Amino acid sequence: MTDIIARRHFRDKAAEQSIEAVHNQLDELWNDASFVPELDRLTFTTAVIEAATNVVLHAVPDSPAPVELGVDIWIKAQSLRAQISAFGAADPELDADAAGMPGPDAESGRGLALIRALVSTVTFARQDGTNIWILSRDATPA
Amino acid sequence: MDLTYKANGTYTEVLAAGRLNMVSAPKLRTFVADVVASGSNRIVVNLGETTFMDSSGLGALIGCLKAARQAGGDLRIAAVQPQVKMVLELTSMDRVLTSYASAEEAFGDD
Repeated sequence: MTDIIARRHFRDKAAEQSIEAVHNQLDELWNDASFVPELDRLTFTTAVIEAATNVVLHAVPDSPAPVELGVDIWIKAQSLRAQISAFGAADPELDADAAGMPGPDAESGRGLALIRALVSTVTFARQDGTNIWILSRDATPA
Repeated sequence: MDLTYKANGTYTEVLAAGRLNMVSAPKLRTFVADVVASGSNRIVVNLGETTFMDSSGLGALIGCLKAARQAGGDLRIAAVQPQVKMVLELTSMDRVLTSYASAEEAFGDD
């Protein structure tokens, strides 16, 4: 079964109020997809917020226009999928494979490693001047 | 996120209610720094009403821990909820930020 059961779309300025708005959308989304187990909700929500926060904190505009954050989420019976986009951002030349956990004293730098620990697959692509993260988590077997 | 504190004799309890994310993380840092500056260096951050924490929030807790230790004290966390517990475990920071069942127990051994 591959039908989309619930979905959400968000696009606005890459600013901190957008993080709260995306989080509110995720909370609403779980009401529409109440079959998703608690563990999958917690992990997927955390991964999406981490990736969106990365855009807000680190995306650099590639023109005078500000970067916009896009978050698209699709819930299917067997998988949770999110596309997090940084519209109008410069190429971050990200080496996502190199991301490991920093030492215990570090106060930042855990986001990428945490995302990788939370979802089944993470891909990063640059397409038409947009940086795109795709996060996918397979449903936990009942 | 709503931040409040109460002095409980040998320690000060900071209650953090809501989402501990990039928006609230700087506020927690400032709040705890002010508590430490006021003379309390034994801090318990009560996370019983913290519904969410990301790596920004975790970074703030680590910063607060350092601030308390630099002042000669310590910072402990209490009443951790499932999402926060998950983030602590996945980052191995549960070994550094020991979680206690309640604020009362956090400094109960000394």
